[in-house]
Amino acid sequence: MGYIRPDDSVGIRNHLLILSGTVYANGVVERVANTINGAVPITHALGRCQVVPDLRVTRRFLSGTGANPNVGAVIVIDHFKEEGCTAEDIAHDISPTGKLIATVNIRGEGGFISAVEKATRIAQDFARQISMYQRESVPVSNILFGTECGTSDTTSGLASNPANGVAGEMIIAEGGRMIMAECTEWMGCENWLTEKAATPQVAEQIVAGVRHMENRALASGEDIRGSQPTGDNMAGGLTTIEEKSMGACKKIGASEIVEYLEVGEAPTQTKPGNYVMYGPGMGAESISSMAAAGCQVLTFCTGGGHTSNHPIMPTIKVTGNRNSYELMRDTVDVDVSGVFFDEINLEEAGQIVFDEVMRVNNGYLTKSEALKDNNSFAIHRVGPSI
Amino acid sequence: MKKVFVIDEADNVGTVVVAPIDKGEDVGTNGRITDITVTASTDIAYGHKIALKDIAKGDTVMKYGLSIGTASQDIKAGDHVHAHNVESNRGRGDKVSSDDTSTVPSA
Repeated sequence: MGYIRPDDSVGIRNHLLILSGTVYANGVVERVANTINGAVPITHALGRCQVVPDLRVTRRFLSGTGANPNVGAVIVIDHFKEEGCTAEDIAHDISPTGKLIATVNIRGEGGFISAVEKATRIAQDFARQISMYQRESVPVSNILFGTECGTSDTTSGLASNPANGVAGEMIIAEGGRMIMAECTEWMGCENWLTEKAATPQVAEQIVAGVRHMENRALASGEDIRGSQPTGDNMAGGLTTIEEKSMGACKKIGASEIVEYLEVGEAPTQTKPGNYVMYGPGMGAESISSMAAAGCQVLTFCTGGGHTSNHPIMPTIKVTGNRNSYELMRDTVDVDVSGVFFDEINLEEAGQIVFDEVMRVNNGYLTKSEALKDNNSFAIHRVGPSI
Repeated sequence: MKKVFVIDEADNVGTVVVAPIDKGEDVGTNGRITDITVTASTDIAYGHKIALKDIAKGDTVMKYGLSIGTASQDIKAGDHVHAHNVESNRGRGDKVSSDDTSTVPSA
């Protein structure tokens, strides 16, 4: 069940998004969102004094988030004209979706109070308009399913990640698409990924993406390949980088890798299968990049029990660590630790994950959604502030 | 007690889960292989690996159905498998080609 948007994309949520174009609009954004029933604020630290390639990525994240089908209406607020990333630019990028969009410029409105008033009136109208939208029955093939892992432990590569890979294959079998990002974690098992690549070009892009991330780290003085696995990893039992990376990459299954995406970039293809995205292992940036690409739902596999939750993309936490599940019961959604205790097998664990994703697709709130713990919007940087 | 989890049918090592293993303990496996019992030749900590069969020096150590490295010495079934007897085939700075300057994606 989902909300069919004017461009025929399908959302599993119907959010009114109040989006900061720049850091200096954050105060207005929060004030407006506080007033309006159901409005979700997204604020961030960027939008000013960025080098052009970096600002381009910021714009991609902001526009993509607004365009995400889970957003029914969006108001973009900025404070002054930032060339290349104004509220109007972002609204322009979102406009092909046909959804309700408005922009408010704080200086243009004559200051904070007037801007809050204007945006609040628009938000009230938008909130009431989108409240009339109804869920309709739609096929699973509309799903762009993101996946992430964080605060991983011994159980991650053995339970939550492979269970997620099984669930992903089930979604792909029904015509859906799956995105895995965090290219830092492909290091050491590039071959396993390139063997699945749909074309030689995709295979080359995978290898180049890993190398690019590695070189970024090297440029900052850190040899991440040479220092893997880390001392903590070794003490925990991980022996080699290929073992560590395979544990992470098991979040996806055996299906073909259809396309390689830049960070935050939406797929250009609709073919069912796996999609891989360049980007960092940093959880909030990574899941935000997948939300910007249009993912409606994401599973976050976590050994230790992560708190990550994206403001507009339901973030389903899955653990294979029973202690973490007990400890983080109000935060972690799914426990598949039964694979270690002869209670379920990996296929059954995959079915449990799949069933939870389907429930959430149909409107069931994740634990973090119910708590409004919308902590994980972050924009990847590719350049310094200047 | 089934303290070892095997993630792929092709694997020759399993991971110690549930609880640590004591030297001399007979342990069974869960996961993709469920019919092996091995006797631990040493204490093995939670999260560490145990050999499910003999692995000769130079043979591939398999986990996830894939190579996670090469045995740097003969490994017997029941042995602790870790950096002291496995060598990575990837990810070593000294093995990375110095002229590899892959193209930079336009992020």
